[in-house]
Amino acid sequence: MTTESHSTAIELSEPAPAEVAAGTELMLKIALTCAAGCDLHHLPLTIKGPDDAAPAACQINDSGEVSLRIPPKVGTQSFTIACGPHEAAGIRHEPCALSLTVNAIPHGTSLAVWDIPSPILKGERFAIKVGAKSAANAELKGLEVAVFDNNEKVAARGRLRDAPWPGTTALYWDELELPAPADEGLRKWSVRFAAEGLALPHDGTAAEFSAMVSRPPEHRLTVKVIEQKSKEPIADVQVRLGPFRGTTDPAGIAEVMMPKGTYDLHVWKAAYESTDRPIEIKGDLSIEVEALFVPEEDPDNAWTM
Amino acid sequence: MSTQDRNDKNGASPALSRRSFLSKGAAGVGAAALTGAATTEAKAEIKWDHAVDVVVIGAGVSGLAAAITARDHGASVIAVEENYDIGGRGILSGGRLHLGGGNAMQQKHGIKDTPDQVYADWVRFDAGSARYSDRDLVRVFADENLATYDFLVANGVEFIDRMIGPEAASTIPRTFVTVEWHVPSELIAPGRNRNGSGLVRRLEASARKKGAQILLRHKMTKIIREQDNSRRVIGIAAMNGSNAVNIQARKGIIIATGGHTGNVNFRRMFDPRLTEEYQQACEPWVHQGADGELAAMELGASLWATASQTREAGAAITKTRHIGCRWGYSSLVYQPESPMFRLARATGLTVEDWQNVIFVNQNGKRFWNEVDGSYNFFAACMAWHGDKTKLNGGGPIWAIFDADAATREKWNTKPPNVDPDGYFFSADTIAELASKIKNPYQKQTMSGGVLQETVARYNSFVTAGADTDFKKPTPLYKIEKPPFYAAWSTPILHDTLTGLRTNTNGEVMDIRGDVIQGLYCAGEAQGGFAQHGLARCLAFGRVAARHAAGRTA
Repeated sequence: MTTESHSTAIELSEPAPAEVAAGTELMLKIALTCAAGCDLHHLPLTIKGPDDAAPAACQINDSGEVSLRIPPKVGTQSFTIACGPHEAAGIRHEPCALSLTVNAIPHGTSLAVWDIPSPILKGERFAIKVGAKSAANAELKGLEVAVFDNNEKVAARGRLRDAPWPGTTALYWDELELPAPADEGLRKWSVRFAAEGLALPHDGTAAEFSAMVSRPPEHRLTVKVIEQKSKEPIADVQVRLGPFRGTTDPAGIAEVMMPKGTYDLHVWKAAYESTDRPIEIKGDLSIEVEALFVPEEDPDNAWTM
Repeated sequence: MSTQDRNDKNGASPALSRRSFLSKGAAGVGAAALTGAATTEAKAEIKWDHAVDVVVIGAGVSGLAAAITARDHGASVIAVEENYDIGGRGILSGGRLHLGGGNAMQQKHGIKDTPDQVYADWVRFDAGSARYSDRDLVRVFADENLATYDFLVANGVEFIDRMIGPEAASTIPRTFVTVEWHVPSELIAPGRNRNGSGLVRRLEASARKKGAQILLRHKMTKIIREQDNSRRVIGIAAMNGSNAVNIQARKGIIIATGGHTGNVNFRRMFDPRLTEEYQQACEPWVHQGADGELAAMELGASLWATASQTREAGAAITKTRHIGCRWGYSSLVYQPESPMFRLARATGLTVEDWQNVIFVNQNGKRFWNEVDGSYNFFAACMAWHGDKTKLNGGGPIWAIFDADAATREKWNTKPPNVDPDGYFFSADTIAELASKIKNPYQKQTMSGGVLQETVARYNSFVTAGADTDFKKPTPLYKIEKPPFYAAWSTPILHDTLTGLRTNTNGEVMDIRGDVIQGLYCAGEAQGGFAQHGLARCLAFGRVAARHAAGRTA
């Protein structure tokens, strides 16, 4: 009985991504074809990676993909996917192979900075929370985060705690204490995370945060917010004077401690309108602010008999 | 075939052959004279599966009003509806009726009104919602207010005993609300006070009782004219699943298909910015596909009062109120018990205070003051954001917020409240959040660095107490507490405010200003009177059907 010979080919049916994170699994869409039109998707394949002593067996899955394990190191990685030869029922499918290189890159990291008090008092210490996240959800506990001030001086260092911040998947965090600058105004800091010493290669990252540095408050501003027409007090109104803030109580009153100075007073509550006004703080002060109720009908209000 | 159709055979046109359901479309005209693609169906023998006096396309508010009115005037009626149930957008509406003229409800509440006052209000030059309307049609509407009110009462529609307003261009209260339908299983958005259900279900019951036939799951595919270049229409072609159905209309065809808002190509005639990312309110229940407009325009029909569509007043484009879902129109939520929920996939997170989020475009940049809901805001949303492959439309708009905002708004950020399949994302950091946003309309991955910078800048505005970029009044809350969220907040489209040109009888007119004999239009597919809501649909549905029923077969 004579054996028929069919040539075969492996090629990518979709281009491979230009970059892949090191240490991950890459699903490659490939096409394994026979010149005579035989269906070859069931034939066993082999994959040889850059660190493999010998090729490993694999198969094309139902989605037409094969899985490539990218080694956990950064740089160009070479792979060879090969098939055959296979002989069955008088047909020999000749061998074929596909060689490709993949650029393995480090995993990204990112930061969150929260619970930043504002204003902070000049010269005093204040605390912030810093969290770091690996795009690969790597455990980051024990790694260092550092805060740099405007002059590139380290303001604080900390090590990420053992457990992620509640409600997150893998945000490892720490609370850091740092000194406020001696000068007033809006100041910026930079948080940096080097992400060194992890099994998977990671890139470091940085994030900025800002806070207002203020003199110590000297005077009490009492703001009472009432409705313009009814003259009734309005609760839960947000009162803002630059970085200084308060919220009205059920009596419509908010108390804000502030240093001397001139400020723009804003009040805000959804469905109310009011005009901003300048305020000069020279001593304790009580003022009344009117806000006009401009109700928007709730589209979900029940309309019943 | 219905009993009614068989009974109606006696009324068939004398032009029809002995086999009354087979006709020569080109009756009396030499077929050799006909040319052009549009003649294909007219030259061939048409097998009519049904034959009636009046065919209504669409069983929404205007279609149901038309079907009842045609029956009231002695015409046999079939209404075809592409959906599996009646109601169109009306069944999802709040049921607000903007009808005055001194009707019984107004009288009961001591409100003096006249048709002349209705007319005067709705041609006001100083009201954007009235300025661009065709005053001939407004006059008809005004004169039909009282009769339309009486029509509703006579057909069993119930109202809540309370007047609202004045609203829109009206200078006195003219709005009242229908009673919600009482059978929860027959609602499309149960549990959300969609009172328009009471309007359409009552009209449906009355239409059926009066002998109008409603063919559900019948999608009109073509309006058939007598012959090529003829200005007379004789029936429609429809598809019922995979079955073709031809319905002869001896007297008239009333287009009540409900507007064009969901048809991207069509709506861009009026505003090229309205590209595919802008969703249509009332989807997925009903798609405003411009079916009626297109079928009529293929016969030479004209559009009318197109300025109304871009007048920058009213609810043609609206701010989402429910974010993190694909369809977040202000007053419409599909709860899990809705038959539409499987398609809608989420209820959305209802925003009480826009101070709790910032909006970013697809590049991760802020672009406007978030508490604004004016047309300036919409223009900013639709501005070019630098995408060189997509010059029109502004791309997706995302609301970005943090865990503290979710607490303040009392949002549960899990399904069924949000749709994590493309319309809601969460992450441990802002940069990671940007990389997670994947959506059919998001053309490229948002840069984590850009979004992080945007949020840091906004946070500095909160710290300092002033938004120096976009003047958001008193920016209140930083976005800093993990986890972080991105929720779909792209403006959503609602009203269709232009459509086919009709005369005061509701007869569709062609691009030369001539009537297309037998073809009518009412509701959102009709151009000329761009009042928001149900009233114009009811009034012109009645006007068109009355005229059609009075035609000689």
